[in-house]
Amino acid sequence: MEIIIVGAGKLGYKLAEAFAIEDNNVVMVDIKSSALDRADSQLDVLTVKGNGAQLSLLSSLKAGSKDLLVAVTSSDEANILIASTAKRLGCKKVAARVRNPEYSNQIDFVKKEMNIDYIANPEQETAKEISKYLIKGKALHMEDFAEGRVVMTEFRAKNLPLAKNTVLKDLDLPSQMLIAAIQRDGGIIIPHGDTIIKESDLVYIIGEKKTVNNYCIECGKPSIKRGAKKVMILGGGKAGYYLAKNLIKSGVQVKIVERSEERCRYLAEELPAALIIHGDGTDNHLLREENIGETDALVSLTGSDEENLLVALLAKKHGVEKVIAKVSRPNYVPIIEQLGIDVAINPVLIIASEILRYTQGGRVAALSLLLGGEAEVIEIITQENSSIVGKPLKALNLPKGLIVGAVVKNGDVIIPDGNTVIGPDQRLIIFILQSEVKILKKLFYKTRGGIFGELWDNYKGLRDPSSI
Amino acid sequence: MNFGIIIKVLGTLLLFESIVLIGPLGISLYYGESPYPFLYTIVILMLSGGAMSTFSGHSKKMQAREALGIVTFGWILVSFFGALPFIFSGTIPNFVDAFFETVSGLTTTGATILVEIEGLPKGILFWRSLTHWLGGMGILVLTLAILPALGVGAFRIFKAESPGPMSDKLVPKVKDTAKILYTAYLGMTILQIVLLYLGEMNLYESMVHTFGTVGTGGFSTKDGSIGDYQSSYTLWVITFFMIAAGVNFALYYNLWKGKWRSLFKNSELRLYLSIIVVAGLLITTNLLVTTYYDGFFETLKQAFFQTASITTTTGYGTADFDQWPAFSKAVLFLLMFVGGSAGSTGGGIKIARLLILGLVIRREVLRLLHPQAYLPVTLNGKAVSSNIVHAVTGFFFLYMLIIGFGTLLISLEGVGLVTAVSSVAATLGNIGPGFELVGPTQNYSQFSAPSKMLFSLLMLFGRLELFTVFLFFIPSFWKGK
Repeated sequence: MEIIIVGAGKLGYKLAEAFAIEDNNVVMVDIKSSALDRADSQLDVLTVKGNGAQLSLLSSLKAGSKDLLVAVTSSDEANILIASTAKRLGCKKVAARVRNPEYSNQIDFVKKEMNIDYIANPEQETAKEISKYLIKGKALHMEDFAEGRVVMTEFRAKNLPLAKNTVLKDLDLPSQMLIAAIQRDGGIIIPHGDTIIKESDLVYIIGEKKTVNNYCIECGKPSIKRGAKKVMILGGGKAGYYLAKNLIKSGVQVKIVERSEERCRYLAEELPAALIIHGDGTDNHLLREENIGETDALVSLTGSDEENLLVALLAKKHGVEKVIAKVSRPNYVPIIEQLGIDVAINPVLIIASEILRYTQGGRVAALSLLLGGEAEVIEIITQENSSIVGKPLKALNLPKGLIVGAVVKNGDVIIPDGNTVIGPDQRLIIFILQSEVKILKKLFYKTRGGIFGELWDNYKGLRDPSSI
Repeated sequence: MNFGIIIKVLGTLLLFESIVLIGPLGISLYYGESPYPFLYTIVILMLSGGAMSTFSGHSKKMQAREALGIVTFGWILVSFFGALPFIFSGTIPNFVDAFFETVSGLTTTGATILVEIEGLPKGILFWRSLTHWLGGMGILVLTLAILPALGVGAFRIFKAESPGPMSDKLVPKVKDTAKILYTAYLGMTILQIVLLYLGEMNLYESMVHTFGTVGTGGFSTKDGSIGDYQSSYTLWVITFFMIAAGVNFALYYNLWKGKWRSLFKNSELRLYLSIIVVAGLLITTNLLVTTYYDGFFETLKQAFFQTASITTTTGYGTADFDQWPAFSKAVLFLLMFVGGSAGSTGGGIKIARLLILGLVIRREVLRLLHPQAYLPVTLNGKAVSSNIVHAVTGFFFLYMLIIGFGTLLISLEGVGLVTAVSSVAATLGNIGPGFELVGPTQNYSQFSAPSKMLFSLLMLFGRLELFTVFLFFIPSFWKGK
């Protein structure tokens, strides 16, 4: 695919990283050269300095013949303008990030009238995820696949019936689920039968919905509990606003602690049902005064990752049951588990998953990024001529970084083993490390193999003027 | 440092070299010469390359450190193994000499230690010139274009190997950029082979001289270099392609894309062509005044051939310019410090750097008049980032420093100052011939082994643009600090 990404911030970078790994040509546009320099040295993309809303720039980049343009600059208005302009120029699909709550009611209008295919709102998506977790007690990062028949969830290994040095194959798991991956020391391991599971691990389980749910209850996963009634939100920014609105709608008592007086006034006007507190959320005294020990959940959504993490730790100390911290940069992902915070939520990752899923089109039914984007869970529908079809899995020489977690065949969920043969028109839920994503193309499209295939593809690439 | 990944990539590079050697092997078989020098080398390369490519790093990530290591080690290793056919065939029995010759080939210098070329095996001479072609656009870039992508680190390799102060990708993927550059390079090569073949050269000679021209190298199959071909047609074809090879190859891509207007606006190209025209006319006038050659056209032809040859750092000779009048020699000497354009196959300091340096001087003068003025250095209408300006000034100083120290060391041989300075400038600038003892009719065989190693190092320094190789002399590069 030919892709333009306007805005090289956190989300732009993450998207470029995810796109460039596959066989896509990515051009990044930004006004600031410092943002581009980072992308230039870390990613295989072309960077162009300039204002993405400028018509001459867009046409010089041949935006009209591109497959996708994603506008993720810091300004909502600019994003709408850029996406709409690109669409008029003939770009096949355009997406824009719009996060101002004041525009949230007019998204459908904007989509239709401005001709934008997809509007992404990271804060709203984040708030949705958090409120699902807080209200329904549903596990965060519990992802539905195959129209809800298959789920994937995270699970703390200490909740499993572990003896010392338990290896995976000795673990007594129900037959309708499997452990697809283990998160350990900030990295992801794809386990095999002899992998030893440690108490400190976080395991990813894929399986049939009911089985997984029952298993979770059996092992007493702490997140399956009653919904929260009193929630304190630190930081009344966009995400905080969306979350408060969602929670209030479900009858939850909401307290918002916000530092800026002006913002407090705005929140008080817009959210009359919430209690707005003007103060510093990191102030221990203030937290105690506001009865932090009595709240069911604390969600820290300020603009600073460090502050969010530290406040979350503080809240744990005060005995708050559920603590959620927003962490937007991938820098701290490896240490979060060690901090013992229940949930760190990354809006960038959530929205990057959404955009990726949207752009992959029909074949990919669902996709979600895990652990700072190091791994993906992806749902793919097989076709007649996919090279994964017709052979037992063990004969395919699948790389170590890929595991087929579940197969859905005529509505039945099958957990595959080495002898499973995959047929056409089945849904596969695949867990794959980012470094191996390229293999997906090989497995699901027919291509010539080996070095001559590569040369042939290159040759074709040379002849095709659009690829140059 | 992630040595695993370095060794793995270097192994792939050696395997690639073994495939390339099939070309000269075919030539030697065709001419009924002994194929064993190449067969042995191919087997050695296959074995060592194969063994090395089984290595794997502790991670796939390649940082700047690893990429720079790959480039410098890669060039040294390819030169080392590339010297083997010369040794096995007995053409150059001494290892230091063979290494010098290969480095000179790969870095497109064209300096030789061979006293007599005619009569040597054709396969060996073909390989000698083929190294020019490989080194011209960069052997690692070629590897990037053909072999499966190395991932993100590829851009760093590309940056470290392609000449010029700034290297930009033409298209998003490094692999595709490398492919475009090599397509242009290959197209130019084929065109020149055909044009030379239409003249007095046979196919073999056409190929060898084309490799020497488009790679801006300068190895020939004749003792008298291009001087042995007397038709004006051949001379002008080679002059044209020398100049064409000294142009930034990205411009050919623009041309192909129909953006020919950007060519006229390119200040580097304009300066490059102006330098050649002005220097060529100055030498022509000087030669005419002293009536060195008979007739205007003969003078013009010789003057422009030599100007193009030295400016683009090719180093082909048609005349013993060491015998030319002093003024012409002075012009040629100055041209030795110019070099081709950034992103071309030429060596030297590069026009883009000189342009930036000139603009810095202009800025400093203006600053005296307007101390508060904000004066960016602008190239092609775009401000050059101050990092690049600093890198360019640093590069220029380091270049002069190396010439100074090199001269000091070479003068230990007891050669004249002109020989010492011009030999160092000719090897560091990847030109080949200098003046007096290293003049166009002379060669580098009279120097001692340590001096030849120094020249080899200087050639690598020049080709990889100083900093890359210089890094290897900094202890913290090794300690991973």
